[in-house]
Amino acid sequence: MQRLPGSLRRTARDIGRDVEDELRFHLDARTESLIAEGLSVEAARAQALREFGDIEDAKAFMAALDRATERSRRRRNYMGEFRQDITYALRKLRSSPVFAITAIVTLALGIGANTAIFSLVRGVLLRPLPFPDPGQLYRVYSASPAQGNPRTPVSSPDMEDWRAQRQQLADVAGYWYAEGGSGVDLTGSGEPQRLSAAFVTAGFFGVLGLPAQEGRLPREDELVRGGPDHVVVLAYGFWQRQFGGSRSVIGTTLTLDDAPFEVLGVMPPSFAYPSPQVDVYMAYSAIPDESIPHIRPVRILAGIARGRPGVSIEMARTELNTIAQRLARQYPENESYTGATVEPLQDSITGPVRAGLLVLLGAVAFVLLMASVNVASLLLARATMRGREIATRVALGAGRLRIVRQLVTESVVLALIGGAAGIGVAAGLLRGLLWLSADQLPRGSDVRLDGGVLMFTAGISVVTGLLFGLVPALRAASQNVQGTLREGGRGLAGGEGRRLRNALVIAEVALAAILVVAAGLMSRSFIALLDVDPGFKPDNLLAVNFTINTARHSSGFATYYGQVLDRVRSGPGVVTAGAVKDAPFRGEGERWSYTTPGRPLGAGEEPPSAMVLHVSDGYFRTIGARIVDGREFTEQDRANAPLGVLVNEALARAGFPDGRAVGSFIDLDGDHVPIVGVVGDIRQSAIEQVATPTIYVNNFQNTRVKVTLVARTRGEPLLLLRQIRDAIWAIDADQTITSVFTYDDIVSDALARPRLLTVLLGSFGVLGLLLGAVGIYGVLGYVVTQRHREIGVRMALGARPRSVLRMIVGSGLALATTGLTIGLVGSLALSRYLRGILFGIEPTDPLTFATVAFVLLCVAALASWLPARRAASVDPVEALHYD
Amino acid sequence: MRRQPMDLIQGTLDVLVLRTLLAGPMHGYAVSRWIRERTDGMLAIEDAPLYKALHRLERAGWVDAEWGLSENNRRARYYRLTSRGRQRLRSEESSWRRYVEAVFKVLEPG
Repeated sequence: MQRLPGSLRRTARDIGRDVEDELRFHLDARTESLIAEGLSVEAARAQALREFGDIEDAKAFMAALDRATERSRRRRNYMGEFRQDITYALRKLRSSPVFAITAIVTLALGIGANTAIFSLVRGVLLRPLPFPDPGQLYRVYSASPAQGNPRTPVSSPDMEDWRAQRQQLADVAGYWYAEGGSGVDLTGSGEPQRLSAAFVTAGFFGVLGLPAQEGRLPREDELVRGGPDHVVVLAYGFWQRQFGGSRSVIGTTLTLDDAPFEVLGVMPPSFAYPSPQVDVYMAYSAIPDESIPHIRPVRILAGIARGRPGVSIEMARTELNTIAQRLARQYPENESYTGATVEPLQDSITGPVRAGLLVLLGAVAFVLLMASVNVASLLLARATMRGREIATRVALGAGRLRIVRQLVTESVVLALIGGAAGIGVAAGLLRGLLWLSADQLPRGSDVRLDGGVLMFTAGISVVTGLLFGLVPALRAASQNVQGTLREGGRGLAGGEGRRLRNALVIAEVALAAILVVAAGLMSRSFIALLDVDPGFKPDNLLAVNFTINTARHSSGFATYYGQVLDRVRSGPGVVTAGAVKDAPFRGEGERWSYTTPGRPLGAGEEPPSAMVLHVSDGYFRTIGARIVDGREFTEQDRANAPLGVLVNEALARAGFPDGRAVGSFIDLDGDHVPIVGVVGDIRQSAIEQVATPTIYVNNFQNTRVKVTLVARTRGEPLLLLRQIRDAIWAIDADQTITSVFTYDDIVSDALARPRLLTVLLGSFGVLGLLLGAVGIYGVLGYVVTQRHREIGVRMALGARPRSVLRMIVGSGLALATTGLTIGLVGSLALSRYLRGILFGIEPTDPLTFATVAFVLLCVAALASWLPARRAASVDPVEALHYD
Repeated sequence: MRRQPMDLIQGTLDVLVLRTLLAGPMHGYAVSRWIRERTDGMLAIEDAPLYKALHRLERAGWVDAEWGLSENNRRARYYRLTSRGRQRLRSEESSWRRYVEAVFKVLEPG
């Protein structure tokens, strides 16, 4: 038998013809054999057909089967070639380890950084909230357009009315939770401790829509005033910590703030709303009127709502606004609260970090692009060196498509290895990121490297591989075979190859410029932030936060408060001590309306509002604030002294435009109070935020149970913690401590987010600079090698090393300048995305742009100078012999 | 008197074709003749199901097909047993033997 070469791929037509041929051969052979046995031609033919049976059916059946066989054969071939390509690619990479490691490290950095940032963005911004139908969840606020205040908390009577009158909303509810502020004392089970509590109104659990993990949720009547509302639901973490996850705690009674509360159930771990710090959920109605009056002017509840299925956010907005307007007409206290603001719950949680994360995502994508460009130019140089190998394969009959596929497979394999290494980079990076974010990142616990993120990594690896592999592969496969073989393998040395390489360098410098501009702006913004004078001196300040038990100290509140202060002050190591309700950046105080004689109200004008903070005597001296005028509270101002307040400079400016504030009176909630002093502005709500008009009330005269005791210490403040705690416990052994921190921590936490952004954008900038330098260096180094002979000729003809040096550096700088120009224009175009994350600096800051241009050109000059020096030291004799 | 040829039990043809190809590569016509000669015409085998069987076996990967030249220099499709086809034949053969033995134990009780 002699084999005929079968065609490589059989079409459906080929198959049909083959089936016909095969059967014809059979019938002919049989007919001939029958003729040889003596039959007539016709009879032989007829018998052959009869013996065969249903020939048409057989043909159809065979053709159908063969088509299926052909399909699976092709698939097998393809997979076989694919495996071959991968094996070949791995062998090739192993044979040039320097190239492979350079490329893999570059890609691992690029892909790893992208993976880390993506998992951050995914966890914080993209992952839906862990509640059913999270798209229907809203955050709702009272709005007072007249006071220019679109987002204020909701009062509990308003919330009850909203709830009663709602139609489009499935439910609406409120909660009061303040970190370090809302809490209860747990006694009677081990050491007394302060629990962080969220006080919720009816509907809270219904809005969020998650069932209890153990036990049950409160019934409607257990969350309303006058109902059996002494109930508590435990957060999962607290349940585990305190009760070891024991189910038997359900149905038992806990003593909270000296009153019995029945444990109804435990929430699942995913229910970390409004904060993972919450230990217990309690009825808002259980807060006695003496602590927080349930009246309309006390706007304290954060509102959440769930729309009915099919109800849009506009419909929810319309409904709450209608109700708010109705209430504003009905109740004088609500006169200016004529609106409601509704926004998606997810946006309101992630809003503060959204802009920063998106900028990071953009920046890190640029880093990956640069890494791709770098690897592409490496591959291009390599393709030139491999020109001979490829030309040989083409000459041996490999199709161009086959070559391209092989080369692209190589780059995708490279990218996937880089991606795998990148996962390690990402894991390390992510740990660093979360540490740097110091719990100032909402939903930080939802950030992890999971299946979805790994899919992303695999995806960008493949895309990256295609990105940097395709162009070099196409170029390599389309080179002139004969020319390459003759030239000794310098396929891409010509003009087109050079243009492509130059384009890559320009792209790289442009990308680097954009990254470095962003990094520069962010650094300057951060420096501006560090330069901010917060109005106090944070070093050596220890703060101990606690809440005075109203039941135990209801009569002697001021006495107790004074005793604690005096006791702490008398301790060794304490320079001064004072107290405030909310430490700076840890609370905003309360918002009260005021009027001053300097700014009388026009007809129908709303009174302005100011922040009110309750402080003790000695507070300002302790934190190192400036007393601009008058004096601060002293021990003589305690309990029975005449009323008096301090105001900050912002209020003095606003309320007393042309007079001294000290000695004047201010009207506060009906009280006519003298101003005893003016304090320099203290940044209270956030370090980025300029101080707003603030009034300081003496906590001895208008008491608040939440106390942040502040002590200026000699030496390390935390060393005095024990002493101060003992001083407090010497007065009341059952006093629970909510939290302890230093003012250095406060400032540091306030800077955590901008610091994170600065560190990240800064490292991306440095990475961009490095990648750009390596890119320029690589390409020029390659050019010098390629032009070795030409340089030799020039020097033989009398060119001096200096002029060769200038020529090479000049060509590097020319490329860099073009790239820089494009990059700076690009930065200007992108500047508006940066505006939201910058502080105290314009995104088009000329100084930053100029500095970046200078730095980049220096780096480009250095990266060009190294290969140029090599060129200038070319020995003409050696160069002319070299080939 | 000549006995009426028996119909083929379902699935028998595959094992016959595989067994035939054990002798070496051959085209469909040769397989057809070989089986007819071996069975002395006792089995009623049409060529159509035979060819269907050959292509089915090719699809299953038990035989390979290739165009070649026949004894009298004509283009014919040759079938060759693959190693998987050999394995298949062995297992089919043994199950046939067990089947036949079982039937005979009933027909000729010891």
